[in-house]
Amino acid sequence: MGGSYALLVEGLKVWYGRRQVLRGISFKLPPSSILAVMGPSGSGKSTLLRAINRLLDYVPDARVEGRVEVFGLDVYRENPYRVRRLVGMVFQTPNPFPHMSIYDNVAVGPRLHGLAKSRDELDRIVEWALKAAMLWDEVKDRLHEPPTKLSGGQQQRLSLARALALKPSILLLDEPTANIDPTNARRLEESIRRVAVEDGVTVVMVTHTPQQALRISDYVAFIYEGKLVEFGRTREVALNPSHKLTAMYFRGEL
Amino acid sequence: MAEVRALLDILFKGCVLLIAFLALVPVLHLTLAAIVNGGPVIASAGLKFFTEVPPPPGNRTYGILTSLIGTIELALLSTLVGVPISFMAAVLVVEFPHSRLGRIVRLLSRTLLELPTILIGMFVFTIIVVPLGSPSILAASIALALVMLPYVTTYIETALSSVPRTYREAGLALGMTKARVAFTIVVPIAVRGVVTGILVGLAKAMGETAPLLFTLGRARTSLNVDPLGPGDAIPLLIYDYAQAPYENLREVAWGATLVLITLFLLVYVLARLTIRGVRV
Ligand SMILES: Nc1ncnc2c1ncn2[C@@H]1O[C@H](COP(=O)(O)OP(=O)(O)OP(=O)(O)O)[C@@H](O)[C@H]1O
Ligand SMILES: [Mg+2]
Repeated sequence: MGGSYALLVEGLKVWYGRRQVLRGISFKLPPSSILAVMGPSGSGKSTLLRAINRLLDYVPDARVEGRVEVFGLDVYRENPYRVRRLVGMVFQTPNPFPHMSIYDNVAVGPRLHGLAKSRDELDRIVEWALKAAMLWDEVKDRLHEPPTKLSGGQQQRLSLARALALKPSILLLDEPTANIDPTNARRLEESIRRVAVEDGVTVVMVTHTPQQALRISDYVAFIYEGKLVEFGRTREVALNPSHKLTAMYFRGEL
Repeated sequence: MAEVRALLDILFKGCVLLIAFLALVPVLHLTLAAIVNGGPVIASAGLKFFTEVPPPPGNRTYGILTSLIGTIELALLSTLVGVPISFMAAVLVVEFPHSRLGRIVRLLSRTLLELPTILIGMFVFTIIVVPLGSPSILAASIALALVMLPYVTTYIETALSSVPRTYREAGLALGMTKARVAFTIVVPIAVRGVVTGILVGLAKAMGETAPLLFTLGRARTSLNVDPLGPGDAIPLLIYDYAQAPYENLREVAWGATLVLITLFLLVYVLARLTIRGVRV
């Protein structure tokens, strides 16, 4: 079932307390593709991401119904720590751990899951992740300094490197460029594009800007009040939105 | 209009300064009194003030060796007992607020905070001093640990809660357990606040008298450092000597007050230093 898909979401419903926030979301995403999730503020985009890697487990009054599969793995029947090892996440605010060095920030995931058998191997993973996040050249001479000295945009790319170091199958990004400058945003987009194409990572990215969706995504999903009102290939949706709301959104009217 | 606002501004600032000053008056007054009354006592006794035991009544020699050593030992022992418990309690309350244990611990900590310290002393008296047969430094340390527990816990709680949620989520999203996030992410980020909390507890333990009344005994004229034996403490000595009918004992009390205030100041400065430059 769904084995040929990287991500399968079926009838996903989420409640916070008695309030329903997601009202039955279903879609399938092929491997190595990039999905841009759009929708007005409060429509449930972040909730969707947190349902996929089960971060909602930690929201005391959250309740989830429905099915999420990652490469055929039933997320809600699987060990959640194993799920999160396969599903990386980058948040809206850059959040490298301030008490760890740049190196340790990237190494923390591989160490946690025992991915490297030697110091050399760990070094290679860290270097690879930093290069994939296009940060290597800027930090290679100060790997053992704290990340607090980096600019916001660099810190966000470090957060990306930290997630990539686990070689995730799926990468979730929640408005990753919302709080950084355009130059850094472009770099982040480029590295996301590259890990999708070169490393086969499947990406789910929440974005507020239709332009960003057009630039990097293969698919777009449009969520409105907890419902998936539009899902399809980016070009097709942009040229010919099947839903009035999506059209308005792409025209910047929502 | 602008002048009125400027005037109000000045008035308001003046009021704030006045209130701050009023709040400081008792502290300043006590410090001054301790310097004026205690200074000469220590000066005339010299180093002996710290190396001799207290004098017999009426005799013009001074010394607080036993209570000074006692206060330091009590502070260390009670910190040793109290801090690890406070630390675990704070982690439970902040990181696992919805667990049953977290809720119970929070309730206990709040209750302990409200309890008069003399009751804590009596409680330790009945459960430790009575079974052991005599007061001891250990019993007093446990009483002090109970007194400082809720304070230190609250301080550490505040420090842990001030760590932004996003770092916890980042840890969890990497596949860490909540406990691992608590101890390898949250606590290290909050480390300065945690240290401050510990120092506040230390200061609290040094200044308390009531919990010692029934638990410590009074090993004042001969030094004992065995935790199972009785001891002495500066606040207890001040409490006894300040009301003594002998001039020389009251003088010792003033000298001891100055020493206690100095110890406080040291811990306070240390706490300030750790607060400075708190990480974001
Ligand atoms: N922990 C929570 N408890 C209760 N309600 C929540 C919680 N988190 C989010 N919500 C509510 O659920 C709804 C969806 O929130 P969500 O964060 O998923 O929206 P979003 O689409 O990501 O919005 P934004 O674009 O502003 O980030 C909102 O109305 C929000 O107030
Ligand atoms: Mg959101």
